[in-house]
Amino acid sequence: MKTKSLVSKISGVSFAAMLMLSALPANSSFAADLNALVWCDHSDPNLLKPFEDANGIKVNVKEFEGTGAGLALVDQSKPGDWDVMVIDSIDIHRGVEKKLFEPLPEDKLPMADLFPEVKMDSSTVIDGKRYGITEKFGYNTIGFNKTKVDPADMNSLAALTSDKYKGRIAIYDYYLPVIGMAAMSIGKKTSELTEADLPAIKEVLAKMKANAKAVTDVASSQTALATGEADILVGGGEWVTAGIAKDKPELDFSIPKEGAVLWSQSLAMFKDSANKEMALKFIQYVMSPEGQARLATSSCYWGMPSNTKAALNDDQKKILRFAEQPDFLKRAQAYPAPNEALDKKMQDLWTEMIQAK
Amino acid sequence: MMLRVSSIVYAALIYGFIFLPVFVLVLFSFQASLFPIPPFNGPSLRWYAAVLADKRLIAGLGNSILVALSTSALATLIGFLSAWGFARFHLPKSALMRGLITAPLTISYLIIGMGLLVFFNRIGVPKSLLAVGIGHVVINMPLCFAIIYSQMGDHQANMERAARDLGAPEWKVLSLITAPLLWPAIFASFFLSMTFSWDEFVISFLLTRFDTTLPVEIWNLLRAGLNPKTNAVGSLVFGVSVLMAILFEIFAFRKRPA
Amino acid sequence: MILPQNRVAWASVSPALGWTLAFFVLPFAAMVAISFYPQDGSGPSLVSYAQFFNSPSYYYALFNSLEVTGLVTVISILLAYPFAWILADIVPERWQRLALTLAVLPFWTSYVVRSYSWLLVLSEKGLVNTTLVDLGILSAPIQLANTRGATIIGFVHFFVMLLTLTIYANLKQLSPNYRKAAADLGAGPIRSFIHVVLPLTLPGIMVGAFLTFVLAIGDYITPQILGGNNELLMPQLIMMQIGRRGDFSSASALSIILMVVVTVAYLFCARWLKIERT
Repeated sequence: MKTKSLVSKISGVSFAAMLMLSALPANSSFAADLNALVWCDHSDPNLLKPFEDANGIKVNVKEFEGTGAGLALVDQSKPGDWDVMVIDSIDIHRGVEKKLFEPLPEDKLPMADLFPEVKMDSSTVIDGKRYGITEKFGYNTIGFNKTKVDPADMNSLAALTSDKYKGRIAIYDYYLPVIGMAAMSIGKKTSELTEADLPAIKEVLAKMKANAKAVTDVASSQTALATGEADILVGGGEWVTAGIAKDKPELDFSIPKEGAVLWSQSLAMFKDSANKEMALKFIQYVMSPEGQARLATSSCYWGMPSNTKAALNDDQKKILRFAEQPDFLKRAQAYPAPNEALDKKMQDLWTEMIQAK
Repeated sequence: MMLRVSSIVYAALIYGFIFLPVFVLVLFSFQASLFPIPPFNGPSLRWYAAVLADKRLIAGLGNSILVALSTSALATLIGFLSAWGFARFHLPKSALMRGLITAPLTISYLIIGMGLLVFFNRIGVPKSLLAVGIGHVVINMPLCFAIIYSQMGDHQANMERAARDLGAPEWKVLSLITAPLLWPAIFASFFLSMTFSWDEFVISFLLTRFDTTLPVEIWNLLRAGLNPKTNAVGSLVFGVSVLMAILFEIFAFRKRPA
Repeated sequence: MILPQNRVAWASVSPALGWTLAFFVLPFAAMVAISFYPQDGSGPSLVSYAQFFNSPSYYYALFNSLEVTGLVTVISILLAYPFAWILADIVPERWQRLALTLAVLPFWTSYVVRSYSWLLVLSEKGLVNTTLVDLGILSAPIQLANTRGATIIGFVHFFVMLLTLTIYANLKQLSPNYRKAAADLGAGPIRSFIHVVLPLTLPGIMVGAFLTFVLAIGDYITPQILGGNNELLMPQLIMMQIGRRGDFSSASALSIILMVVVTVAYLFCARWLKIERT
């Protein structure tokens, strides 16, 4: 008898404990929310709040780093868990190949107002259907501290591998743009890279690494330049200097004579989204002049709005060098877009560079 | 005398080392400008206001408290029951089973988190605070078991037998005799679990999606750029933790039977 | 007094066993399974492991981890032992509790924030550099942040606190009679320390050392924030597989390799780590 009562007590207590644990939400989103897979610039309340208030909806955001990781997050979810995604424009085909995305209605989007160079139809339009719209862009180039380096040197990528700035360089920790810059510095086109180019690129990267103090992510890149830890950021650009321009006016970026790498991020909608109407509304909001201005000046990083009509004030336009864009765009080269096998090789190259003694 | 002086100097140096980052953290949380580096140009409460206005941080704080409390309670309970079972009964393969229960203690959190991520992914459990809670019980339960098991002695067993002989049912023995006798160990288990859960990063990072715990929110904040807001939230966490430790000290340890 | 097994016994231990099986053993099995199925979708193979053993940039991560963790463990013990001894033997009894509480107080800052705070302290315009330059000790700031040294400092900071606690507890358990006996037999303080105190506190040191090793070798945050990516440690390499490419197969394989290393360390320390009842 006693035994039985203890068994039932223990199972009762265990049950209560389980119940306590199950008070933790198992699924944090509701169907009425909009679930967005984004980069950190989309987490800014200044961007999201006006949309949430206007539509009486909550926007849940999950940040991710590389396209591979973003697609893995989708793999780990149930169909319909996600509504919209921010993705490198050049990677849209990867989502389309996995049959994840829904074509976007061009007539409901401000296509005519976009900078023509960043529409990137070769990446965003597949089989005649538009799967992504460029929302923001900028350059991976040389970011630097005007007061610490000779600005004239910054007109050539050669400065990054020369001894003059040894120990004063930081390298932005993302393999594609920096590999692109390394390729350009030895006269290769970023759009035509093959495995055969990697050994030469590896040499350039090794020289850069030998000059570098650190290999830094978005935030620590900013920290390194702002705190004087480094005077030059390989792969830097408006995205690292513009946001802190008010406090650190000495930070600047250049488009060297070899050119710069153009980065561009797009919005895409999920085919299985349970709330496509709201997803489209969100994309329309981000592409609107107000949304574009807020996205361009987001707290995580600034960047050029793809919409020429973005409601930026003159100060902000000056910081972003709005007026110089036609020239910049002419000289910029595409973000490297390797296939999966080459991508893996490039990542391994990057790991080797970091590990180099 | 020499020994005394050099001891004092050494202790002072270690204290200096230990407190240096905390001092800098708190000082620059009152920075007025955008960068938490010298020169100091405060004091200003600007960044504290920014933290309190940040809904994600506040939500993360709430989630962390919820996860810490519920998982510590469950870990302590399960750990206590099993410690009692192993200490009082002769079970076949007891050593092996005890080894199994304590095995997670020797595994890095990163690996436990990875395993749960792969496993939950396979069986279709979505990323959530519940998943994190399960993970936190995995890391804390072995600790609770080990602490309580190590304190199980014959002295409590004799009192249990006396109570049993007087006709008390087992559950009464357990809750009215065993648990109160082991109160310090149970309390220490709960308190340690809370600490570990409260500060755990990598499991929460891997297993959550939108709603997440405070350490992950702080990490997100850190990744969004350098500013004294991180100092402010760090100082707040520090203040609250110290306050909690003092309260626990006053209300719990002092009551411990001599 | 040990009772024979019965339903009560099994009922009391089954929640813990069940939890461990369901959420520790099974996930581990899933991880092992997935490590044999490479990300590219080809069938079962050792590709994810071969990648580790064939590429220097991967296995250097393990070497780096072992070097850093080894250094951290040794430095932390060397710093913490005298400190714990001062707290236990020199500080008057009634102040000891306060002294100990003060020593672990910074433990209560969030651990992500602690690393970040060290970055601020060590940066070129940080407190250490500016102070040293102002005092004329340095002519120009030196690079402290974003180095292996910074990672080690961040780790040592935490583990000095942890080890001070374990060693202090160990020293307090020593009966003063041991030392008195040693002195009566003519041993000076140094000999008494080497032949009596040190051997008796060795178990405490080993427990602390093992804890330090396990916690440090699996930590992602400290090297990621302080190391400046000038080299990769194992946890960073593992997180890179997930964060950049969503490659769970290699991440699992690397985790298992790391676990094997920790297990070897465990076996090495096992005789000091037994959990025994009093």
